[in-house]
Amino acid sequence: MNVDPEDVSVRLSRTRTWSGMETDAVYGPDDIAGLDHDRDLGRPGEYPFTRGSYPEMYRSRMWTLRNIVGYGAPEDTRDGIRRALEAGSAGINIVLDAISQEAVDPDHPLVEAQVGQEGCSLPSLRDLERLLDGIDVTATDVAWHSTMMIYPMIAALVRKQGRRLADLQGSHMPDHLGLTLAGWGEAIMPPELGHRTAVDCLEFSARHSPRWALGMPQGYDLRERGCTPAAEIAIGMAIVNQTLADLAARGVSADEVAPSLAWVSTADIDLFEEVAKFRALRRIWARTLRHRFDAQSPRSLQLRIACHTSGRSLAYQQPLNNLTRAAIETLAALLGGVQAVETCTYDEPICIPSHEARELAIRTQQILAHEVGAARTADPLGGSWYVESLTNRVERDALDLLATIEEIGVVKAVQDGTIEQLMDDYNLGLRRELDTGERIVVGVNRFVPEGAEPPTRFTFDRGRVEAHVRRFVETKRARDQQRLEASLRDLYHAARQRRNSHPAMIDALLADATMGEVWGTVRLANGYSYDPFGVITSPFDHES
Amino acid sequence: MRSDLAAPIRCLLGMLGADVHSNGVRTLARRLRDRGIEVIYVGEHNTVRGMVESAAAEDVDVVGVSFWNPGYLAATKALVAELDAAGLADVMVMVGGLIHADDVAELSALGVHGVFGPGSDVDEVVAFLAEAAGRRSDGRGRTSA
Repeated sequence: MNVDPEDVSVRLSRTRTWSGMETDAVYGPDDIAGLDHDRDLGRPGEYPFTRGSYPEMYRSRMWTLRNIVGYGAPEDTRDGIRRALEAGSAGINIVLDAISQEAVDPDHPLVEAQVGQEGCSLPSLRDLERLLDGIDVTATDVAWHSTMMIYPMIAALVRKQGRRLADLQGSHMPDHLGLTLAGWGEAIMPPELGHRTAVDCLEFSARHSPRWALGMPQGYDLRERGCTPAAEIAIGMAIVNQTLADLAARGVSADEVAPSLAWVSTADIDLFEEVAKFRALRRIWARTLRHRFDAQSPRSLQLRIACHTSGRSLAYQQPLNNLTRAAIETLAALLGGVQAVETCTYDEPICIPSHEARELAIRTQQILAHEVGAARTADPLGGSWYVESLTNRVERDALDLLATIEEIGVVKAVQDGTIEQLMDDYNLGLRRELDTGERIVVGVNRFVPEGAEPPTRFTFDRGRVEAHVRRFVETKRARDQQRLEASLRDLYHAARQRRNSHPAMIDALLADATMGEVWGTVRLANGYSYDPFGVITSPFDHES
Repeated sequence: MRSDLAAPIRCLLGMLGADVHSNGVRTLARRLRDRGIEVIYVGEHNTVRGMVESAAAEDVDVVGVSFWNPGYLAATKALVAELDAAGLADVMVMVGGLIHADDVAELSALGVHGVFGPGSDVDEVVAFLAEAAGRRSDGRGRTSA
């Protein structure tokens, strides 16, 4: 048997970071000559929070091990939640299917085969009640991996159950501009309407549910779409800055909303570069909040970060390699001082996570916590000449790009394709490096296993999904039409007058309007088609 | 049938329905243009009918759809049926994205022979496009031998 020596040995194949920054063989004091300890680093828990948001980091406050669940009908996802809790997951994270995340109803003629794939189908308040049966949303931390409509749905549930919004716990991800960039596009999420809806949501939540956490910006999706760690910071900060400025114009100060914000981030495969990103990000956040928005509260200045390890770094080929990738990315997140981590399952590139893969993702974090000692000491890489130098460079690149985006205006830079072009260029460059072998991904363009069997995939019985869609259609027929139409008419006029759309959205959901009907009405009132696909028209007449 | 043998290969690329992960197909569009293919990129969130209308209007040799959502078999079946109904039985179909190896046989039975799942190479795509344009010039359809 002939064995290529390179297949059984290792060599240095790349001196640039994964995102393309050139590095030196050795770093020393000269590389961070201008760095001032008190001004640029501080102690963990002290401004500018480069070294972490809390003085004793994981000794005082452990990271939250999160596990993402969601597929099929609400009843299917309930089963998944129960199994994740049994396997040791502390936080419940629920992901919705692409249709629900686009606020399209599951009986839409175009999407039938896509219902309940990749997430839970959740088109109405009654479905939310089924999903959360027995879970008190004012006492349980449920994190929603969803943007559109989920906050008004939860708020409607709280009202229906007679609980207080002020007690509401949990989080969602209200970054609508991030959606446009992440592949929803202008058709599903017009940038100006999306941005205004995010501002509406933050204003409403700041005034009514101050304990609810807002995962914004959605830096994770920006990176998955395609950009560098520095660009994640730049685009994310541009979105945050515009949002905070618009909130200030409505009389909501940074100190009223920033303590509820958490940055949704990723950890890709380049451990040192990702650690540098988390550190640079906290520094930029603290300085921006203090100097641009005059924030006084320490809770506004100390950024909380929720991290999901990188899905796009995982390979379909030889998928068990993804266990190694996800473990290193999880370590990067912990060395970077994040507050919550979801470790990708190794089968994420193949299918909805299997129960076994989900359990292994939980075990990965337990090994890091108990055996590796990742929780022991705050900012363990702080003071490394290499990591401090990388932190400075990520910060500088991020601030340069942020200035460019803000010169255009972030909403316009989304509308005119500036940011999309940047992401397409990044992806093309990466692809070309894979083609030339300049960049190696094991099992993908080198060390490709011969005759490998295709990985098996998780499957589930579609019967419940089909029954769920039938039930959805029947429930719609049995509604109090008068109350429904009145509530949607109110919503239409509120949205037409550019009032905060959230109170009327909540009322409409309580009148059993579906997610698609509520958002379709908001779209109409803003001059867009009721149906983003242009196939169905509004069954309601709002003018009479 | 193709009107001009020497004309460049024309390919419509896009996504259907609720699917949102467009990185792969957008990158492919640019790489195919680098190789001299005329790519008409119609973006995400298309209807089957809209895509077939574009295919007819643009006189393409191939319609390519990228899928992330596991519901791709039903969507591909609908696309093929609509192409046939529009009299475009000579236009070849290719699919890519998260296509699982277990589904290749069923796609093939639909007349979809260009299946470019994870790990596919752009050279393979270009070779398929050339073959597809050739079949169209000969007046052979998707399903004929």
